[in-house]
Amino acid sequence: MKNMLKLALRGMMRNRRRSMMTLLAIAFGFSAIALFAGYTHNVYDGLSRQSIHGEMLGHLTLSKRGMRKEGRLDPERYLLTAAEVEAVTRLLKDESHVVMVAPRLALSGLVSNGRASTIFLAEGIEPEAVLKLRSGALTDAERKSGKFESMRMRLDTEHPEVVSLSEGLVEMLHLKEGEQAQVLVNTLSGQANALDVTLGKSFNTGNAGSNDKFAFVSLALARTLLDADGRADRLTILLDDKSQTEVMRDRLLAKLKAAGFDVEIMTWQELSDFYNQVHGMFDMIFGFIFSIVLTVVIMSVANSMSMTVIERTREIGTLRAIGLKRSGVIRLFTMESMLLTLIGCVTGLLLTLLVRWGVNAADISYIPPNSAGRVPLLIDMDVMRTLFTFLLMGLVGTLAAYMPARRAAKKDIIDALGHI
Amino acid sequence: MSDITRHLPILRLIDVKRRFLLGETTIDALNSISLEIHAGEFLAVWGPSGSGKSTLMNIIGLIDSPTSGEVHFDDEYTHMLDDDELTEFRSKKIGFVFQNFNLVPVLSALENVMLPLQIQGVAEKESKDRAAAALVDVGLERFRDSLPDKLSGGQRQRVAIARALVVNPMLVIADEPTANLDSENSRMVVDLMRDMNRARKVTFVFTTHDQRLLDHVDRKILLRDGNIVSDEVMA
Repeated sequence: MKNMLKLALRGMMRNRRRSMMTLLAIAFGFSAIALFAGYTHNVYDGLSRQSIHGEMLGHLTLSKRGMRKEGRLDPERYLLTAAEVEAVTRLLKDESHVVMVAPRLALSGLVSNGRASTIFLAEGIEPEAVLKLRSGALTDAERKSGKFESMRMRLDTEHPEVVSLSEGLVEMLHLKEGEQAQVLVNTLSGQANALDVTLGKSFNTGNAGSNDKFAFVSLALARTLLDADGRADRLTILLDDKSQTEVMRDRLLAKLKAAGFDVEIMTWQELSDFYNQVHGMFDMIFGFIFSIVLTVVIMSVANSMSMTVIERTREIGTLRAIGLKRSGVIRLFTMESMLLTLIGCVTGLLLTLLVRWGVNAADISYIPPNSAGRVPLLIDMDVMRTLFTFLLMGLVGTLAAYMPARRAAKKDIIDALGHI
Repeated sequence: MSDITRHLPILRLIDVKRRFLLGETTIDALNSISLEIHAGEFLAVWGPSGSGKSTLMNIIGLIDSPTSGEVHFDDEYTHMLDDDELTEFRSKKIGFVFQNFNLVPVLSALENVMLPLQIQGVAEKESKDRAAAALVDVGLERFRDSLPDKLSGGQRQRVAIARALVVNPMLVIADEPTANLDSENSRMVVDLMRDMNRARKVTFVFTTHDQRLLDHVDRKILLRDGNIVSDEVMA
């Protein structure tokens, strides 16, 4: 085996230029896949943080069964009562991994600066819950850079009448921080209810579609506007570990069912259409790039090995004459191909690390589709997909030599020895 | 060599024919060859080009099969062996020396000589020791780490002889071992084979065009058009 490995390694070095070209094709192919995987990993990670913390979906959202479909038509029926909110919260807070349970109340209506009015969609949430939910929205590097300060939104714990409007809405109404505005909404019973509010710090939703109509209000103000004392349309549950989302959903559902609550719990992934769309699109592009690169690598290795086998036909005849079995010939060339592919993949890995370092250090940013601001171009290390690529490329690179090696092994010894 | 040893056949060819198809033409390379080769012989097969020398050597060396007839090697009817068994049989009992030396260019002289042993699965240390000893036997101990392209033609052929002998074979087949060598190196190579034949009691069968080399052999077989024309045992 050791000798076979030595023979394979030296055989690989025999035609250095061709081996080098094949090796580079493998290395660049591997690097292209690993870099794209790293980029999508960063995008998925950013989008998941944006969904869980930025859009404040939390990890899990609990509501009465049917709330999502029928809630808007009959809010009175589908809103959790004050007693239910309290009982469910108590049950959930006992659970491990549950960091926070925040009651929420969605509302919509008109907001006016006294001269003009426009529609708004708002979320009623406790100011403390906002702080906790938003704490994971940015990475340490993003927080330190200060570039994403506009995405941060704060409600005032002392003054429930302070609202936070999205930047587009503020701009449209020519309002400034500290100024008064009027909001008009329908209560649960359908009565018009108007209140004066004070404009707090504005924020950027990060989404061009919602940045001119979204607002955050304190839960107390939302309850007053809707005349829904102590009630909530859903509970947002924040966990300490994203990977526990599915497990916790099942566990909490079982627990609440046992306690007699007819509720449904959705994960952040189920609620975030944008995340799912982007994930689906990038997965498709990844699959496309992966297939192309893999095909190029297979063709490169197969071509290189075919030429190697032809050039070394007489050597194969000699080895067969002095005792190497057909299987040994196949093993020799597949080992050579495996070495070539593995060295190519390792070179590709080093290239990936180098390019990744360069791109991340270059401080590049861009505006992705449907985004209200620039985001940094960062490349992560997607260990699982990189490892998968490494193993799959190693395997197909090895198998690519199988056919030419088998052809050589089947050749009659006297024909092989007579080959020029 | 005693007469008893001399008369033990290690190889028997019975009515061996070999026919090749070249496009739509059939070529009878060997016609009903029957032959016995005895242990310890130093035998030359000679004849003009196209007489069937190489075909006969390929069949004796078990790297080609006859179209009809039987080949018995060391009391084994080789037709009954499958490819793997035949390969294993060959690796243990037959050594090969080729006209073009056929050394692996990326391996040193020592590594080339170790190769048949390592194919057999002999341990690294033992392979190295035996290969080094074989190189000493052919007078190339100083060149053990040299690559083939750093050696002269004569030296390369001596490495090839060491490679053939390192497995302690019953028979060494050498197809035109001197064809690519000058007369001095040719004589040296034949002398070396002769010495090894005497010292190790290994049977050597080789082909040649060079009539001068025939003076050194125990027995010479003249082939013409695939037939044995004469089979002389030298005094």
